[in-house]
Amino acid sequence: MRIEVLFPEICNLYGDLANIRYLKLCLPEAEVVETNLQQKPRFLDGGIDLVYMGTTTEEGQRLALEQLMFYRGDILKSIEKGQRFLITGNAMELFGERIEEDGEEVLRGLGVFPGVARRSSVNRFNSLFVGEFPAEAGTSTEGDAGGSEPITVVGFKSQFGHMFSDEGDQGLDHLALFRAARGPGLNRYAKGEGIRINNFLATYVIGPLLILNPPLTRWFIRDFLGQTLDGLAFEEAAMDSYVNRVNEYTDPSTGLYYWGGTTERWQ
Amino acid sequence: MRSVRFYLALWCAKLSVIALKVTGHRGTNFPGRIVLKICPDFLRRAGGPGKVLGVTGTNGKTTVVNLLISMLRADGKRVLENNQGSNTITGLCTAFIRDMTPGGKFRSEVAVLEIDERSSRVVFPMMAPDILLINNLTRDSIMRNGHPEYISRVLTRAMDPKTLLILNGDDLIASSVAPNNPRAYFGIESLEGDVKECINLVNDLQICPRCHSILEYTSRRYHHIGRAFCPECGFQSPKCDYLAMDADLENMTISVKTEKWTKVFRLLNDSVFNIYNVVAVVAFLGELGYGPDRIEELLEQTEIVGSRYGVEELDGFRIIRQMSKDRNALGSSRAFDYVSGQPGEKELILMMNNLSDAAVWSENVCWLYDCDFEFLNRDNIRNIVVTGPRARDYYLRLKFAGVDDDRISFVGDEIDAPSALRFYEGETIYVLYGTDSIDLADEVTEKIRERIRERSGKK
Repeated sequence: MRIEVLFPEICNLYGDLANIRYLKLCLPEAEVVETNLQQKPRFLDGGIDLVYMGTTTEEGQRLALEQLMFYRGDILKSIEKGQRFLITGNAMELFGERIEEDGEEVLRGLGVFPGVARRSSVNRFNSLFVGEFPAEAGTSTEGDAGGSEPITVVGFKSQFGHMFSDEGDQGLDHLALFRAARGPGLNRYAKGEGIRINNFLATYVIGPLLILNPPLTRWFIRDFLGQTLDGLAFEEAAMDSYVNRVNEYTDPSTGLYYWGGTTERWQ
Repeated sequence: MRSVRFYLALWCAKLSVIALKVTGHRGTNFPGRIVLKICPDFLRRAGGPGKVLGVTGTNGKTTVVNLLISMLRADGKRVLENNQGSNTITGLCTAFIRDMTPGGKFRSEVAVLEIDERSSRVVFPMMAPDILLINNLTRDSIMRNGHPEYISRVLTRAMDPKTLLILNGDDLIASSVAPNNPRAYFGIESLEGDVKECINLVNDLQICPRCHSILEYTSRRYHHIGRAFCPECGFQSPKCDYLAMDADLENMTISVKTEKWTKVFRLLNDSVFNIYNVVAVVAFLGELGYGPDRIEELLEQTEIVGSRYGVEELDGFRIIRQMSKDRNALGSSRAFDYVSGQPGEKELILMMNNLSDAAVWSENVCWLYDCDFEFLNRDNIRNIVVTGPRARDYYLRLKFAGVDDDRISFVGDEIDAPSALRFYEGETIYVLYGTDSIDLADEVTEKIRERIRERSGKK
């Protein structure tokens, strides 16, 4: 089991890398390799079971894209062939068609999915997220195939951009990784959150997603990665925190959005 | 140009100050809100006293501002300050209103203002500081500040080109703000405990800002704070105009060298943060034209205000209250590093929950995974009491840091946290609290005292 972390020197915001440290605790035999901006991503030459990339700065997005664009064709092929990816936070935006800022294109994306990230550096968006993950969707289905026992997923969003589609605000819902139960999907009007194409999983949810969501992590390790799992690391504490968080976030009296400080309201 | 609206705003706000006093309300921002409602460009029209000095950055703003105010007042200056109110535009307006006469004249000759980094974009276009010190730019609230590169960009865009910048030369993010502005750098040559490799989870400047190769550090205090160079293109940390060296923590002194003089100054606290704060203040006064002897005299007359740190001894136990900023991974990492490095056995109460967040939504706890809880995994930290709305998250984070179950106690309500203390002989009990739990930390500390007294009574 080899996990490749792409560009950890810049894609390391908001505790995202804790996901990989947690996977390593759950799968002690796993080997974690880091690829920096000067190196060719290893998964392109095979032998990588999971590619991970976390949240980065706006300049980090530019630098990462500059590097990934060299290999755009090979990356698209590898996703087609079923290479496993987990992409969190605004790293997801790199895989869409383009990133716009205040109405103008600032970065051309890899084009893995037809998404347009629109960001405004004045309006930082913060929310809690409650979603459902259709675990029965398996590892090779495109998009939200639905399942009898969806897994509840909880987490945080904190971002400058939202993802849209040229086909409309809900134009990416058919590719959703999660279905929003409370909180927005890829944008204010979308119910679908994240992107799932073959084994490419991406979400705007930031931070220690796998630590805070033991049921999702069990699926991720067993079904998605195909690994044997006796139990998650400190599973009891993780479940206790998870159950408490699910109760808290699904309680209608818990505010969903954060407008503190000088954060302006959603335009 | 001052207009009728300006004066109307000023008088209404002044009346509100009187009303607040009469009714016994604090309302530190209320007059500022009134003034901005009536006259949105009040700050621009107000101008300022003789000199406007600003301090911004992620950590240490309040301490540096308090030191500066204290030293300038010791020098006989009349100082306008906002340290009783907020550091956003409403707080600054309130400070101006309080200082101004009804005729709009400033009573003070110099303003020393703590300015919120994000607020700079609305403040600076209206009131550009003559001198601005940026202590550091590191990760802070994920929700408000995003990441330090973003804050650096906000500051650069808002900066008036004439503002003289005093920058931490050991922080390549802070020192890169507004590259075309006049500037002076301060820094520390080396300190005991410096490392080359980062031992923290967060390291926000790993690549060369010029060629994006991996940077190397010749000395590193923590995170990205230190002296760095790029082995590929030759980029390096700026040369410091105020370079501190030879820190002597036994005698609590540090030497600062400039082109013109070298002088030994008194340190006010042995934490690295506070050593930087002293060096920053020396640089600030140096740029104001004070000579080294006078700076030394003024420094001798001042202390770090104790609201964020308090030590007491009671029946063989030490109790230390220390602010450990909630939602600020770097601030809390520094506090954890400091606490874990102190000698002797200890117990900790972790109550850095953000209570105002808890009241309206649920605190974003991602920052816990940027924060070095691993520093708390030490044999001489015998018991860590996690408490408050996010106690379960602290518990989980400590487990992730490798802390054994028998060294973690869970108590739901902060006020009951002292009941889980074990009182090891001669130990130090730390109460680590957040920015909005100062009063609650006082109550918890009182409970600890009660428990110690009860124990002594039983003996």
